[in-house]
Amino acid sequence: MDFYYGMAQLIGVHTLLGLSAYVVLLTGQVSMAQAGFFAIGAYLAGMLTVLSGWHIVPAMLLAAVASAFVATVVGFPALRVKGLMLVVATLAFGEAVRIFWFNFDYQIAKGNIQVGPLGGEGFKQIRYFPENGWSTADVALFIWAWVIAAMVALWWLDRSRVGSVLRAVGEDELAAQSVGINLTAVKVSAMTIGGFIAGLGGAIYAHYTTHIEHLNFGVVLATFAIAYPILGGLSSVIGVLIAVIFIQGFLVEVLRFMGDWRNLLFGALIVLAMNVRPDGLFDARAMRTLRRLFGTRDA
Amino acid sequence: MSDFWWDVIDPVQSVLDGMMFGSIYALIGIGFTLIFGVMHRINLAYAAASIGGAYASLAAFQLLSAPAIVVFLCAAAASGVIGYLVYICCFRFIPTAMPLATLMASVGMLILIDEVVVHATAGMPEPYPAMFDDVMIDLEPFWVRGDLLMIFVLSVIAMLILLYVLYRTRLGIATRAVAQQPSAAQLCGIGQERTNAATFVITGALGGLAGAMVGASVGILSPLLALPLTVKGLIVTVIGGLGSIPGAIVAGILVGGFENVFQYFRGVTERDIYVMLLLFVFLTFRPQGLFGRISTRD
Repeated sequence: MDFYYGMAQLIGVHTLLGLSAYVVLLTGQVSMAQAGFFAIGAYLAGMLTVLSGWHIVPAMLLAAVASAFVATVVGFPALRVKGLMLVVATLAFGEAVRIFWFNFDYQIAKGNIQVGPLGGEGFKQIRYFPENGWSTADVALFIWAWVIAAMVALWWLDRSRVGSVLRAVGEDELAAQSVGINLTAVKVSAMTIGGFIAGLGGAIYAHYTTHIEHLNFGVVLATFAIAYPILGGLSSVIGVLIAVIFIQGFLVEVLRFMGDWRNLLFGALIVLAMNVRPDGLFDARAMRTLRRLFGTRDA
Repeated sequence: MSDFWWDVIDPVQSVLDGMMFGSIYALIGIGFTLIFGVMHRINLAYAAASIGGAYASLAAFQLLSAPAIVVFLCAAAASGVIGYLVYICCFRFIPTAMPLATLMASVGMLILIDEVVVHATAGMPEPYPAMFDDVMIDLEPFWVRGDLLMIFVLSVIAMLILLYVLYRTRLGIATRAVAQQPSAAQLCGIGQERTNAATFVITGALGGLAGAMVGASVGILSPLLALPLTVKGLIVTVIGGLGSIPGAIVAGILVGGFENVFQYFRGVTERDIYVMLLLFVFLTFRPQGLFGRISTRD
């Protein structure tokens, strides 16, 4: 049973990561910086609970706010460029964050052991959950409470005026600008929301793996972050969840019996999926079908 | 010589070494920039295809024990073929109105190529042949490593051939026409798909040469080289200016020298931070890059 809880935890955390990239993608920006925000959330929340002895919820929120703040600061200069330039700028930012943690030492003695981040060796002993007697199921529930909260918030945001503004910018910047939308404000806001969610995801990630190191937050994770919304489709937050389940559940777990060949199939299936469904697995048509099934009119 | 001179010589030596290695970054940057110029797309699988081509050429080295230069040419040829496959799998059938889909497909291709390499070599790094690696040219007070010099010379030759193809052949004229105005080019009877495919093959061959030279200068070839090479190549593309070949050449050599001097002063773990900072300086003060024009399209 613990295996399934572990998987639920993994899927939950990756869904948060995907959602953070989803918000930014709605405005048409491909951000490879999400792994960087994720790393900031992870290290800060870990330091708050381990070094300062905070409760996990305030630690997570503060770490997420810090990530959001960094995202805002990065957003202003980075969003002046677009397309490939933005991909490279955010990629470089994410790598810079990773290398920062690679060179970051801050250890204090706690009892008879040293705790805290230690450069290349990473940050061990983030043992908030075991120390407070949370079972795997508790942790999984805790994670999914956050995931559902984030999904509902984004779902609501999507249906509100804000969502229309975000999508308007994503569809056509010039048209959006000419009806009086402030492009910079919209893009930086999307980046900030994305940074907040990625920070939350990172904070949870640090606590359920108990050991983080800079290698966890490299280009691969950044690629995963944007892969979820693109593969799932940008029509709805459900797309992100479907893509995470498809990748982490189906491609990684179900195909485990294939051994080495699984990794080969992994890339090939992504290529195939994008050729067959360029709008994402869960595209606008699937969305309409779902609405018809549940008998609600299009909003 | 006084102590002061000794303090200066070593950094200058590392800048020179870095600049020669930077010619590899320049080749990768040219590949990104050329595909971007023609299709307005990013092909993230490019550096992985280059490493993949270099791996394929290992067969010629290990089975036929061919001389290094033949191995390099094999790498270029193999990478050209991989480039064509990337075009077919990631760009040919996906509608051009969906840039995210092509981006993601090329990421999938990157993973696929990497995994094929890992699968074929059991994940072990393989030794790669070098040329003139035992030669040291003594230019008092500096030294020039023979293999790095050879890399530099080969890169320059490859770039000259590329420029010749682009500016002196019908294929090059077609490529530049499609880059400038795709629909107008089609009206003149230039097949857009054929030109795009040709661009992928040409850049692929260039990348294969770059991949082979990475292997030759590092001494080994590892699938782990693909990601850092992708990142450096993209940075070079942006610093040089999107779509600008001279920009990519200058930026590649610049980044190579820059990273090596910081490796000398600050160590290998910190060196990339400074490359990123260089990029941010460019994005803030000169977002169009060294040679790029401010464009309205992206």
